[in-house]
Amino acid sequence: MAKKLKITNNIRKLRFFADEMTQQQLAEKTGASRQTIVAVEGGKYSPSLELAFCIADAFGVAIGEVFEYEVEG
Amino acid sequence: MSYQEKRIIFTIVTGILILGAYCIYAYKKFQSSAVNTEDIKFWAGSILVFVVIGIVVNIVNQIIFHILIAISIAVEKKIRNENCDEKEIEESIKNGMVTDEMDQLIELKSMKTGFFVSGIGFLLGLVLLVLNYSPIIMINLMFIFFLIGSLLEGFVQLYYYRKGI
Repeated sequence: MAKKLKITNNIRKLRFFADEMTQQQLAEKTGASRQTIVAVEGGKYSPSLELAFCIADAFGVAIGEVFEYEVEG
Repeated sequence: MSYQEKRIIFTIVTGILILGAYCIYAYKKFQSSAVNTEDIKFWAGSILVFVVIGIVVNIVNQIIFHILIAISIAVEKKIRNENCDEKEIEESIKNGMVTDEMDQLIELKSMKTGFFVSGIGFLLGLVLLVLNYSPIIMINLMFIFFLIGSLLEGFVQLYYYRKGI
């Protein structure tokens, strides 16, 4: 049986270090809506691989620096 | 509140108006003796008219909604930055109305609810037919469940936008 993963992200921190990039700016860079970025940042939505790579690309870092996971239970 | 949430609320209000209008219409027809309420052809025609009205009202509402949203985004942009040009405003409007993977996923999930409720209406209609109720009841029940299903679809979408998916 597949393990349940808890996915967390560092988007808030990365936005801060990217000259306090706004959620709207990140949304425009990734082609997603601001609402999706808000949901991803708040951990309410796990993005597709494509969007996850786009987010990492917007910050110029590897995907592993944006998203992390831990095994639940 | 995001563009998507506003759009859904607009659609829900339209749906409630259509459902209310149909319920009042059907109730009045059942009360009055002007038409033979056992005439299935009459009810099928009435439902078809309401479906067409629903589609037209929805299209008109969406056009009005998008015009209003575009105006509000443009005004907001102009207030924030008086020197912005038309291209920037256009870009803001485009960015404000983006539909992405999360929207599509929420739409798919909520559609499941809509189909489920419509399906229950259909099954209930069949059960009533087996129990010797009039086909008029069945056809009305199916239509009302279909409308309720589409309303619920909107509420489920709002729920997912708020709670996350």
